[in-house]
Amino acid sequence: MSSTKIQVRGQLLPRIPARNHRMIYSVVCGVSTKRHHRESSLLSRETCPSSDSVPTKTDKSQFLCGDVDGKFGRFGGKFVPETLISSLKDLEDEFNCLLSDQEFQEELTTALRDYVGRETPLYFAGRLTEHYKNIGRTIGVGPEIYLKREDLSHCGSHKINNALAQAMIARRLGCSHVVAATGAGQHGVATAAACAKLSLECTVYMGATDMEKQFFNVLSMKQLGAQVKSVKGTFKDASSEAIRHWVENLDSTYFLLGTVVGPHPCPIMVREFQSVIGKETRRQAHQLWGGKPDVLVACVGSGANALGLFHEFVGDEDVRLVGVEAAGLGLDSGKHSATLAVGHVGVYHGSMSYLLQDDQGQILKPHSVGVGLEYPGVGPEISFLKQTGRAEFYTATDQEAIQACMRLSRLEGIIPALETSHALAFLDKLIPTLRDGAKVIVNCSGRGDKDLDTLIQRGISFPNC
Amino acid sequence: MAASATFRASVSPSPPSSSSSSSSSQLTHLRSSPFKAFNFTPLPSSRSSKSSSFSVSCTIAKDPAVLMAPGSDPALWQRPDSFGRFGKFGGKYVPETLMHALSELESAFYALATDDDFQRELAGILKDYVGRESPLYFAERLTEHYRRENGEGPLIYLKREDLNHTGAHKINNAVAQALLAKRLGKKRIIAETGAGQHGVATATVCARFGLECIIYMGAQDMERQALNVFRMRLLGAEVRGVHSGTATLKDATSEAIRDWVTNVETTHYILGSVAGPHPYPMMVRDFHAVIGKETRRQALEKWGGKPDVLVACVGGGSNAMGLFHEFVNDKEVRMIGVEAAGFGLDSGKHAATLTKGDVGVLHGAMSYLLQDDDGQIIEPHSISAGLDYPGVGPEHSFFKDMGRAEYYSITDEEALEAFKRVSRLEGIIPALETSHALAYLEKLCPTLADGTRVVLNFSGRGDKDVQTVAKYLEV
Repeated sequence: MSSTKIQVRGQLLPRIPARNHRMIYSVVCGVSTKRHHRESSLLSRETCPSSDSVPTKTDKSQFLCGDVDGKFGRFGGKFVPETLISSLKDLEDEFNCLLSDQEFQEELTTALRDYVGRETPLYFAGRLTEHYKNIGRTIGVGPEIYLKREDLSHCGSHKINNALAQAMIARRLGCSHVVAATGAGQHGVATAAACAKLSLECTVYMGATDMEKQFFNVLSMKQLGAQVKSVKGTFKDASSEAIRHWVENLDSTYFLLGTVVGPHPCPIMVREFQSVIGKETRRQAHQLWGGKPDVLVACVGSGANALGLFHEFVGDEDVRLVGVEAAGLGLDSGKHSATLAVGHVGVYHGSMSYLLQDDQGQILKPHSVGVGLEYPGVGPEISFLKQTGRAEFYTATDQEAIQACMRLSRLEGIIPALETSHALAFLDKLIPTLRDGAKVIVNCSGRGDKDLDTLIQRGISFPNC
Repeated sequence: MAASATFRASVSPSPPSSSSSSSSSQLTHLRSSPFKAFNFTPLPSSRSSKSSSFSVSCTIAKDPAVLMAPGSDPALWQRPDSFGRFGKFGGKYVPETLMHALSELESAFYALATDDDFQRELAGILKDYVGRESPLYFAERLTEHYRRENGEGPLIYLKREDLNHTGAHKINNAVAQALLAKRLGKKRIIAETGAGQHGVATATVCARFGLECIIYMGAQDMERQALNVFRMRLLGAEVRGVHSGTATLKDATSEAIRDWVTNVETTHYILGSVAGPHPYPMMVRDFHAVIGKETRRQALEKWGGKPDVLVACVGGGSNAMGLFHEFVNDKEVRMIGVEAAGFGLDSGKHAATLTKGDVGVLHGAMSYLLQDDDGQIIEPHSISAGLDYPGVGPEHSFFKDMGRAEYYSITDEEALEAFKRVSRLEGIIPALETSHALAYLEKLCPTLADGTRVVLNFSGRGDKDVQTVAKYLEV
């Protein structure tokens, strides 16, 4: 382990035409070049390997068959240096074991109930429903809007579902230390909390710009006993640092991924732990109206909360799945995070998926007022849902999200996270198209206390001061 | 001003001889009272509490003091009596203009207590909007922390009111009162707030129910709590600054009461704690009592028994009452309230009303309060705004005198230590108020027998305090 040296970029290889991608999953030099080959050029023109990074071992067959070794159609996979393959295999084996381990499942369920506060309510948003009826001047009953209250979870967002379960895995694997990267800080806080509870040491990497914007989350992480390390840049840079830290300490450290990206088995693992959202929703919908939801709406940064809600219903063709990404200052401005809307397929952070890249294959810097949505990639399973047409994806701008945040606060007394507000913003366009009595469930993925400073800085005013 | 004189007067407890005069006025009231003609009290024929047969007689209680002496059976206590008294505490020390509103409120409250529709609606809102029931969480690492060298120690459970919508127990009461106000046809809600927590809870429920909301806040507090002011406005409330007096909570309270007196027909006053004139202490307690009810059920599920000790922080006393009320008649359940000792009980800068206060009348109720020799209210201090109240709910004063509950106090420093400790051991950041109760565990746990089950009311989360604490601890 100590013989490995870490570099961001590897050796230059002969340039391949079309786009390049920079593989953030850092390079380990000293690994034999014989074992590296580029991705097959049999792949569609949209997928291209990079030339200024060291590619990792890939198998052509990965791309031809589905759902083997973590593939969702052609998305997903395990684009990582050789040294990480065995750790990932260990993780995968452990994860598969746990799925049927009674003791683990019981411990997790108890913790989710008593520590996190599950199950979260499925709340009928009467005044929001009424608001859309008034706008549409509907005579009938109009569509009904329900909120899945992940904002009520411990730490204030859905992130704890995954952080807690993975921290439990870390302990099982005998790790004493957990490392994570965080954008808005929600995953950092959830990880710090779970580690405190399970007596694990915790280091969280966060972009310097993000640390300023979400100062309050930084204080919370420190209070929970985590070490917070500043990294120049934003989430993607923090991720690289965190991975670097992990690779240097593979024996004692567990890398706790916050979302459904990364090499196999990470996307599946995180999705599995978030899928409790959808499972509860099915049960609650049945209790409330004896049926299924008609439309599910969720914001999409990398896709964890969306998959958490969607996954349960993917097989129910009559349930529409709608994801809402961040259009930032507008899709034409170049300042957004609308990966699925305008991105292209490539490899990023160890898996193949859509990502925001320029003509040179350089990763674009994403932007959104909802910092948690500021990710230039998206989970491979989400890319798959888009490609197969199973889910629809739209976008909402910063302004629309802020308006939606203010609206929900005023109408329901719930201040949503700015990320969540993107999903709520899309209701403006969605609701008028739905039939009477259509049941819409929006994943209220987090609460907005962390965003008050952002809103204050924006200088928003109120009618009755 | 007449109004303020009533609220700030300190009245010494009346000696027993004058109780006969007060009881005759009680009789007059009883005759004209619409809902209670007699006080129905079973008189035990023998000392033995196990005796199943005792004579029941119907009598007009002449002297409640007989039945409510320290050591008597809590099941026999009137909490409150028809005047809203808990023993000698409580009551309705308000201007004449408010008497009708208070009676109306009281009638409405009693009527709704048996109204199935109302109860069902309230239960639904508590479940789907507030997120109840809140878990009873076994704090493994905290328990381990208090385990003695021989492996013995108490078991610590936390009642997670921090997981409620808005992050504290306050919403239980706010939601119920807003629903009640709607039933009364009131469209306008007013409230006072110190640091803003009660203001936020009120603004929240007003948004949910579409009610007009005006929050009175001391100008000084508004400066210190700009974030909460913004939050209340975001939720659609109007925040009115109060500049009189010291421009803090007690002045905001006076202003709110003044508003209520003026607009009583259209307006409901959501009082945030178990203080104030009857029926508020009873109402707010009953709306928070869901905490204790759930705890009983959860304790039974988890260990097939009752809690041994209940611990809660006490400012006005609402979260404590919410937990205690269910168990008052279970004499084997110990109840402990923890107040704020600020810089120390001798510093003069604290809010330890039950330890250092004297009986008087504040904000419409007779209770213990912090007053100087001239009967002027002493400005309290605590690092936690929610405990920074110079009074305390009358029922707590009653429990103290009756010996039913024990009250201690914790300094700012001890609270900060507990804040840090619990964050690091359990990954839950407690509110600074709650941290006072958590700090008391340091003194309590060494005295408890092995396996004693302690339930601590985790009344709120500490997100709001993270910045304050960082300043103090230089994190």
